[in-house]
Amino acid sequence: MFHINISLFSQTKALENKIDLFHDKLLDAAMTFKKAVRVYLTEQRSTEYRQLSKQIKQIEHDADNLRRDIENNLYSQNLIPDLRADVLQFDEVSYKFYIERPEITSEYHMRINELCDLSAECAENMAKASRAFFRDLSSVRDYSQKVYFIEHESDLSAGHLREAIFDSDLPLANKLQLSDFINDIADIADIAEDFIDELLIFTIKRDI
Amino acid sequence: MDLTFFLFLSSGLFLGWSLGANDASNIFGTAVGTKMVKFKTAAIIAAIFIIIGAVHAGSGASQTLGELGSINTLPGAFMSALAAALTIFWIVRSSIPTSTSQAIVGAIIGWNFFASKPTDLSLVTQIVSTWVFCPILSGSIAVCLYWSIKKILRKSRLHLIRQDCYTRIGLILAGAFGAYALGANNIANVMGVFVPSSPLKEATLPWGFHLSSTQVLFLIGGIAIGVGVITYSQKIMNTVGNNLMKMSPLIAWVVVVSQSLVLFLFASQGLRNFLLSYNLPALPLVPVSSSQAVIGAVMGIGLAKGGRTLNWTLIGKIIVSWISTPIIAAIICYISLFFLQNVFGQTVYLP
Repeated sequence: MFHINISLFSQTKALENKIDLFHDKLLDAAMTFKKAVRVYLTEQRSTEYRQLSKQIKQIEHDADNLRRDIENNLYSQNLIPDLRADVLQFDEVSYKFYIERPEITSEYHMRINELCDLSAECAENMAKASRAFFRDLSSVRDYSQKVYFIEHESDLSAGHLREAIFDSDLPLANKLQLSDFINDIADIADIAEDFIDELLIFTIKRDI
Repeated sequence: MDLTFFLFLSSGLFLGWSLGANDASNIFGTAVGTKMVKFKTAAIIAAIFIIIGAVHAGSGASQTLGELGSINTLPGAFMSALAAALTIFWIVRSSIPTSTSQAIVGAIIGWNFFASKPTDLSLVTQIVSTWVFCPILSGSIAVCLYWSIKKILRKSRLHLIRQDCYTRIGLILAGAFGAYALGANNIANVMGVFVPSSPLKEATLPWGFHLSSTQVLFLIGGIAIGVGVITYSQKIMNTVGNNLMKMSPLIAWVVVVSQSLVLFLFASQGLRNFLLSYNLPALPLVPVSSSQAVIGAVMGIGLAKGGRTLNWTLIGKIIVSWISTPIIAAIICYISLFFLQNVFGQTVYLP
């Protein structure tokens, strides 16, 4: 019996560590993404950008493995919603930048940076809300509120940016390419918002 | 002792089997329904602890039923248990949360009337007041536990995974305690009426445990309840578990512990003696309804969580069961005893 208990507690401890590590990866990915976009806007496809892009890919790979491992343990208990590692589509966006090399004139740099910051901040707050779900249920609501607010801001920012691009004299192909990028970046915030919707329901269910 | 004894005991065994099939879900329903504990594990733990509770602490509540009416022939006891079973079968169909405890008390009163024996009205009042008090007490315990756990969790900031690990262990321990309390409290419903007329003798088990004749009877009743748990409670456990999924596992634990404590308080002779020795007020030892204790606990938590209204429909149904179950059981018992005596020529009471 003593042996069984020890093994149960050590398994629990290992799972706790994996969940913490998964949230660390989400935060890492968001911060690295912000940095990568800044580097791209100033240096385009430089070595530093290439490294940052690879770093994001590695983070996503590690987070995916962790997610599968955690979900295997948790699904049987029907404990939490899908961990949604797809929020790490940071990787897809940064890779797209690398492959497609969009021409972004300097007048849009500030706004694109702003949109990236908002989307990354959304993902960061989502990760914090998810971490709070495991440690301090009362804080989930605070972080969720931030996600909703920032997601709304990112929608506005993406809308203004799209408007400015289509009002400009850029060739249509360029306009469409940039609009596609803006959609992808804004999608990060949308995914974070969808996750928060599910998380809040689970929080209500779990709140004693 | 011959086969006739077991033939007459069959109604009590059937009552025990149905009690096991139905009431085990109050103890392990959440744990099994949420897949925190396997059904096999839950059923084995429940069966073992119900038998231990019945044999070790079942005499208190049974003595109270004996004081209400000492059914002194086996056919009389058989018909009283059968009348209780039929009443439960009939009332359950109208989805009123009824209780074996209330049915058996009604059946005993029916026998008293038929045998022209006096019924101690003060004892009846005491028993009925415990039925009313049971869900209220269970609700109060649940509220206290709920607030304490909430405070502890806020302070400890326990990781959800660790919290679930402790809850899993807690549900098993609470289930074992609940099964013990159920056996101790409800064995009186199943075997209580057979105590005065039982021909069973004292026995010593292979491990050296000495059992009195009443304990042997309770062991047989406990086994019947255990068989009910193992053979027929899985479906009900899954249903209860799925209904209670809306609750968090911790709240489910609070409900199981509250219900178990109430059943234990109304069954433990040791606790009663302890309280009386310190001149403290002690609860009467009476079989109470585990289902109504669960409803009381759930409502208590609902109020503590800020629910604005009580479910008056459910409360109304419980009140209807307090009144209708014993009356219907008494009437069925009276009529059945008449048939058993006059059609089948059985002696249903000794003057």
